[in-house]
Amino acid sequence: MSAAAAYKRLMMEGERKSALEVARNRLMVAVILFFAAFSVMMIRTVELGISTPETKQVAERKIVIPPIKVARADIVDRNGEVLATNLETSSLYANPSEIKDPKLVAAKLVQILPELPLSEVEAKLSSGRKFVWIKRKLSPREKWEVNALGVPALQFQREEERIYPHGRLAAHTLGFVDVDGNGLGGVEHFFNDRLKDKTRTGEPISVSLDIRVQYALTDELEAAMSAHQAKGAAGLVMDVNTGELVAMASLPDYDPNDMRGSGGVERFNRATQGVYELGSTFKTFTFAAALDQGVASLEDGYDATKPLRVARFTINDDHPKNRYLTLPEIFAYSSNIGTAQMALDLGAERQQNFLRDLGLLDPANLELTEVGSPLYPATWRKSSIMTISYGHGIAVSPVQLASGIAAMVNGGRLIPATLSHDDQSWRPGRQVISEGTSRKIRQLLRLAVTKGTGGRADAVGYRVGGKTGTAEKPIAGGYDRKALISSFVGVFPMDDPQYVVFALLDEPRGTKETFGYRAGGWVAAPVVKNVILRTAPLLGVAPKREDAGLYQQVALMIEDK
Amino acid sequence: MRRMVTLCAAVTALASGAAVLQLKLAVQEKAEQVEGLAAQIHDDREAIRVLEAEWAFLTTPRALQEKSIKFLALMPPTADQVLEDPTPIPFRPRGIEAESDPGVLLPMREEKKSKKKTDDRAKGQSL
Repeated sequence: MSAAAAYKRLMMEGERKSALEVARNRLMVAVILFFAAFSVMMIRTVELGISTPETKQVAERKIVIPPIKVARADIVDRNGEVLATNLETSSLYANPSEIKDPKLVAAKLVQILPELPLSEVEAKLSSGRKFVWIKRKLSPREKWEVNALGVPALQFQREEERIYPHGRLAAHTLGFVDVDGNGLGGVEHFFNDRLKDKTRTGEPISVSLDIRVQYALTDELEAAMSAHQAKGAAGLVMDVNTGELVAMASLPDYDPNDMRGSGGVERFNRATQGVYELGSTFKTFTFAAALDQGVASLEDGYDATKPLRVARFTINDDHPKNRYLTLPEIFAYSSNIGTAQMALDLGAERQQNFLRDLGLLDPANLELTEVGSPLYPATWRKSSIMTISYGHGIAVSPVQLASGIAAMVNGGRLIPATLSHDDQSWRPGRQVISEGTSRKIRQLLRLAVTKGTGGRADAVGYRVGGKTGTAEKPIAGGYDRKALISSFVGVFPMDDPQYVVFALLDEPRGTKETFGYRAGGWVAAPVVKNVILRTAPLLGVAPKREDAGLYQQVALMIEDK
Repeated sequence: MRRMVTLCAAVTALASGAAVLQLKLAVQEKAEQVEGLAAQIHDDREAIRVLEAEWAFLTTPRALQEKSIKFLALMPPTADQVLEDPTPIPFRPRGIEAESDPGVLLPMREEKKSKKKTDDRAKGQSL
C-alpha cells in the first residue's frame, strides 16, 4: 500500500512538475517572440529616425546654390569692368476681363507711365480680353508705383533687359541687341551664339578695350570734333605687341540702351567700316617697302624742286621746300614729290605685294561684322603707283592702317588687330619687314614729330613718333579741295613702341587757334597728344628724358630751311 | 535581477529613441538652414550683379570727370609729375623693405646695406 501510495504520489509530483515545465517553456517562447518583435520595432525606429529620402540625403551632402539664370552672358573690358550685362526687369500686362473701371485704372496708369497715350491704354483695358501687354521693361520705381495702385488685374512678367552701364562709350564696339535679346551690331552680333549659349551664360566674355582709355579717346575726339565743326571723327588705340585694340571710337555715336532715333549715320563705325584715303600716313609704308627692299637708303634723296606731272595729274607738295631733299627730309616734311619718285623706283608689283602683305588690300580680319573693304584701282597704272605712295587712290579703314603701322614699329611683325582679350594667347605675328628697317622707320616717325609736320603731337616725356595725313575727299571725277580727311597716326614711346594712337576728323574746319589750317598736323595731332598725355599713366608708360642719340644720325640729315 | 535588466533595456530603448528623434529634428533644421543660406547666396549674387552694373554706371569715366571738375580743383598731371620710381618722394613712410638680392658681390653689398640702415635711422630721428 505504501509503495503504491508512494508511487502514486511520485506520479502526481512528476505530472505537476512536467505541467510547470511546459508552462514555463511556453512562456519563454512568448517572451522571445515579444523580444524579437520589440527589437524589430526598435531597429525600425532607429532607421526611420536616421534615414531621409535618398535624393534629399545627396542634396544635403553637396550644397547646391541655385545658379543665376541669365539669357545672355556679360561683356567685360580687359580689367573686368562690366560693359554689358543682363538685369532682371518686369513687363506689365493686364487681364482686362477682371477690371471693373477701365477708365479710372487707365488714368492712374498713365500718371505713372506718362509716355503711354491715355486713349490707347483705355482701349486696351476695356477690350474685355484675358491678356494685354501694357508696357515692357519697367524701371523698379515704376513697378513699385504700379503695385501701389493695388489693382489685382495688373500683373508683371519677369523679363531680362540688356544694360550698357557706360552708355555711349564704346557703343560701336559693343553693338546693341533687339527687344528679344539678339545681338544686332558689334561684338554682340559677332559673338551672338557664344553669348546666348545656355551652358556658358555665367562666364563673361572679355574684350580688349580699357574703358578708361576709351573715354579719354572719345572725350578728346568729341572736343576736337566740336571745335572744328567736323562731320565725324574716329580714333583708336592699339597695343603694337599684341594687336589688341585698347580703345576704338567713332563719332557721332549712339546709346545702345536706347536705340530710338539713331540712324545709319550714328550706327556707322568709322573706325572699321569706313574706308578713307588717309593721305600721307601711307608714306610710312612706301618708305618701309623702299628701305626694306633696298630700293633706297636713308642717305639717298630725291629732287623736289618742281611739281611732277603724270598723265593729267600734277603732284604738289603741301609744305614745298623747292630743293633736293634727303629721305628723312622727304618724310619729315611730307613731300609728295619725293615719295612718288621713290615709289616709281619701287615699281608697281613690289608696291602692290607689300601692301597686300600688310593686309591693306583685304578687309580687316576683326571680331566685328561691320568691316569695310578697302578700295584700290583694279589696274595699277603709273599714276596709281605715285598717288598710292602718299595715300591717295587707295582707301582703307583706320584699323587696317593702325595694324600696318604697328607692324612697322614693333620690329616688323604683322599681328592682326583683335578685340578679344586673352592673356594666354600670345601671337608671334608674321615678319613683313626686317627689324633693321623697323628701327629706321621708328627714327623717321620720331623725327617727323620733332622736326616735321607732326610737332603738335609731341607729348612731352612720352617720346611720340608719328605721321600726319591730310587727304582731299574724292568726289565724282576728282577731289574736293574744301572737304578734307585729316588724320594723325602716333606711336609711343618711340624707343620701345607700345601703343599706336590714331585720330581722324572728317571735314574739319580751321579755327582761330589753328590759324585757319585744317590739316592733320593741326587738327588731329593735338588729339593724339592729349590722348597720350591722359592715357600713358593708365597704360603703364612712364615719362622719361629722351635719349637724343637714338635719332642723331638721321636728325643730321634734316636741314631746317 | 531580471527585472533590473528589463527596466534597463526599456529605459535605454526609450532614451535612444528620444535621442534619435532629437537628432533627426536637429539635422532637419540644419538642412533647412543650409537651403536657406544657399537661397540667400543666390539672392546676394543676383543683387551683386545689379550693384556691379550700378557701380559701373555711377563710376563711368564721364561721370567721374564731371564730378571731379565740379568738386575738386585738380589738374591733369604733367609728365614731370609722374614718377616711375617712388624713392625720391620725401618723407614717404617706409614699409617693410624686402631683402635685397645679395648677388655675387657679397661683402661690398653688406657694407652698403649697413650704411643705408644707419641712414634710415638717422632720417627717422630727424623726423
